[in-house]
Amino acid sequence: MADTVATVTLTINGREVTVPKGTTVLEAAKSVGIEIPTFCWHPKLKPVGACRICYVEIEKMPKLQVSCATEAMPGMVVNTESEKVKEGRKAVLEFILINHPLDCPTCDKGGECDLQDNTFAHGIDDSRFDFNKYRFIRERKSTFDDYRIGPEIVRNQNRCILCFKCVRANKEIFGEYDLGVFQGGNISEIDTAPGEKVDSIYSGNLVEICPVGALTNTDWRYKIRVWKTQQVKSVCSYCADGCNLTLWKERDKVYRVTSRRNDVIDEGWICDVGRYGYQLASVEGRLTTPLIKKGDKQVAATWEEAIGLIARKFREIKDKKGGVCIGGLISPQQDCEALLAFSKFFRTQLHSNNIDFRTEYKMLPEKESPYYSRLTSASFRIADIENSDTILVVGTNLIKEHPIVHLRVRKAVNQKGAKLYTLNPFTTKSGDLSRDEIVHVPGTLEAFLNGLCIGLAEKADGEGNVRAAELKARLEPNTTAKAAEICGISEARLNDLAEALRSAKKISIIVGELVSGSPAREAIAAAIHNLTVVLNLNERGQAAILSRAANSKGAERLGVMPSLSKELQQKLKSMWGGFPETEGRATDRMIHAAKKEELDALLIIGANPVASFPDGQFVREGLDKLDFTVVADLYETETTEKADVVLPLSSWVEQSGHFINLEGTMQRFEAAIKPVGNSRPGRQIIEDIAREFKGGLFADAHEIAREMQELLNVEPRPSFPDAVAEVKFAEEKIEKDYPYPLFVVDEMHHFGHLTERSRSLAAFAAEAQVEISPSLAEKLQIENGSLVRLESETGKLVLPAKISEMLDNDVILISRNFSGTAANMLQMRKKRIDRVRLIRVDEK
Amino acid sequence: MILNKISIAEIKERMVKYPRRKSVILPALTVAYRQVGHLSDQIYREISDIIEVPYIEVAEAASFYTMFPKEPVGKYLIQVCHNISCALLGADSLVGYLEEKLGIKKGETTPDNLFTLISVECLGSCASAPMMQINDKYYENLTREKVDRILEELRRQG
Repeated sequence: MADTVATVTLTINGREVTVPKGTTVLEAAKSVGIEIPTFCWHPKLKPVGACRICYVEIEKMPKLQVSCATEAMPGMVVNTESEKVKEGRKAVLEFILINHPLDCPTCDKGGECDLQDNTFAHGIDDSRFDFNKYRFIRERKSTFDDYRIGPEIVRNQNRCILCFKCVRANKEIFGEYDLGVFQGGNISEIDTAPGEKVDSIYSGNLVEICPVGALTNTDWRYKIRVWKTQQVKSVCSYCADGCNLTLWKERDKVYRVTSRRNDVIDEGWICDVGRYGYQLASVEGRLTTPLIKKGDKQVAATWEEAIGLIARKFREIKDKKGGVCIGGLISPQQDCEALLAFSKFFRTQLHSNNIDFRTEYKMLPEKESPYYSRLTSASFRIADIENSDTILVVGTNLIKEHPIVHLRVRKAVNQKGAKLYTLNPFTTKSGDLSRDEIVHVPGTLEAFLNGLCIGLAEKADGEGNVRAAELKARLEPNTTAKAAEICGISEARLNDLAEALRSAKKISIIVGELVSGSPAREAIAAAIHNLTVVLNLNERGQAAILSRAANSKGAERLGVMPSLSKELQQKLKSMWGGFPETEGRATDRMIHAAKKEELDALLIIGANPVASFPDGQFVREGLDKLDFTVVADLYETETTEKADVVLPLSSWVEQSGHFINLEGTMQRFEAAIKPVGNSRPGRQIIEDIAREFKGGLFADAHEIAREMQELLNVEPRPSFPDAVAEVKFAEEKIEKDYPYPLFVVDEMHHFGHLTERSRSLAAFAAEAQVEISPSLAEKLQIENGSLVRLESETGKLVLPAKISEMLDNDVILISRNFSGTAANMLQMRKKRIDRVRLIRVDEK
Repeated sequence: MILNKISIAEIKERMVKYPRRKSVILPALTVAYRQVGHLSDQIYREISDIIEVPYIEVAEAASFYTMFPKEPVGKYLIQVCHNISCALLGADSLVGYLEEKLGIKKGETTPDNLFTLISVECLGSCASAPMMQINDKYYENLTREKVDRILEELRRQG
């Protein structure tokens, strides 16, 4: 019954059209290829009928109707091209153009403007309006009215046709309330709220959605005419969402990035990091030639010299001490081809399992962690989030970590009525959407989850698939009351969440970096696994720990880790005719080994562990002990400083390749420009070293593709067994002198260590700040911008404070994205939760 | 806080009457206007906090209505309708006459803070054009003589 969709049949331009009930006349026409001009209509927004250009004539209706806001009805007879319709469109355009400046020759939208196109197709060549045009003039008398409404957006109200798409998308899709329509009638204008600016993570979409030149971004303004550019299909190289992008380039420069709508992933929206992050490819200061350390200096060298030296050194170490004395770190923002080559080089030529892609997480497991791996490899679909009626977001500031997944959660809540619950050690923006924003005492997540499992089992009263008694024997804490007390949350709220989950039909559990980055990740994963068992989630939803970077999933699936699943090991063994028997080391074990002089060399590609690995002191000491360090990157970093050989690395816009997004979807991206300077893509660098060392890694491109495919065919074990895992919570001792939990996170408009080079992203934030809640600021008498000194057991840091309205408990957030701010100096590798004290200071 | 206890109580009372919080924006703005005499960004923030509607939506709604002055105005706010019916029957020259009589330009306030002159969109009294509204009262079928008498009367009341 529910499967049969009610349909209506109508006639459009003499053709019979059948569409699902509720379809608009416009969409019905589109479905059979009849185009109707639009300005204010957008496939993802509610129709408003503001611009009226989509007029059609419908029999028995006395006036022309706007097809975007008229529902198709049985027996309707619609004409989209009658004389009356044409007259109507002409009149609409005449009105729209009354105050329009007609400045197409200097307008950046020229050549891709809906107003130009629709006037060309439907308009008249004259106007009966002979008064002076009304002009919006803000800052200075200029036709252009260049009025900046955000770090990147310039508004020209004179060009605006009041389709309201920017304001509607901002509110409906992004949940941002920083742009609105002010005044009325003739003088209506799009503007920010008084005293505010448009600077959300989604702000660039407002420019992309503008059908005319009213909103432009500094990125693209006055740089090039659109018809001179070529479009290249790409995929975002930052977070793991995998948004599809179009790069707009001419000769050897990319001029902008726009979204390439993919409804199963991004629905046509991208975040600002993806939109402006390409800029770092072509700003001053790129490494353009290899450097070799001679004495205290790094001196320019040829590729032949650099590769020759690396191969010689590696051979020396391998012959003398064995390949296990060499380790490799590679950024999960490298493509699959580079990752596979890296693994193959280490495993088949150096016979070493010392490879890792996780340089930001502490206490990585030496052995495979079954529950954690199970949840990182679980099947998860972004599009399925909106089919869930209950969503639980755990351990992530979702809007920052996965901005596009966050939009899908928003959609589920706002358009489909899903219930959202968040479970975090601090308040996040997703909290605004949630039924209950649960903030637990930092470091107690698995205790809460234990309580939740017990609560659920008790509610099921013996009818569920797990009995409460069985759970209680394996969990600690093992009552809801005890769990609630440990986490600092009332038992009633815990029980409410249990009830919401129990009565849910379809559930999505989304887990993020605060879990994957935690030393307790395996215990937390086990607790989440228990929750999926108690909920019988296999049959009613999805749960996954989302991978962090564009190709973290690729690194996992292709085996760029020291310890692999048996299946993957076997596959590699048969494919490569061998696999090193020695145990591999994860990032921190490698550094530890270096410190003890058990590791002699590191090959680092695209990663900056000196500034990112949590325990700056430890990583610095480790790297200083190495005999031979090779670092490939786009720019000089804290890590290249320590290198014996620095190699110039190409960015992803300079090469083609594949990324695997958090869903496990492999997507191809194309090269837009040639490698900058003498830089080379990661894959080529590894191949070059291998060829010099022992011989090529792959016979040809087909062999890489075939090997990748074979590895991806290895099942990542997505289904959950029914057994309950043991989860015993152990409290971490808190040093009284360091009372405030510290979280080192990505700044809203940044990702990784390179985005600070992007001019546009630096316009949003260019330096690290200490984010604290208003109440903590008041307690410590700290004001916005005042300098504070952070002290932990291992380090000190002085930074300006930023009072964040979003936060409401006593935690401290610092961003990891800015050179010169070594936030990792405050972190300790063995502590679960880093803690600091905070003192206001007058000067550095 | 600009809004006083009485105004806040009054706004909260209105909140009960509407199914959607957004609907309380206009009544709340009216309450604020009656207390203060004009609106401001600070007032939008206060209302936004009380009725839990985004700040920008309060500001947007206030900006749409010319009936709410956004800056301090004189004791008598003269709002001349400038829409079609009134315009056809001489609203423009009426504004000119008022400017001359008051010695101020449209949008200004007299030095004695008695009168502020603005022109506004249709006030729904087309049948008796040209017309103006002074504070809460309509003055219709205006002529220059009528305007003289009205101003004189208001000046006398002070």
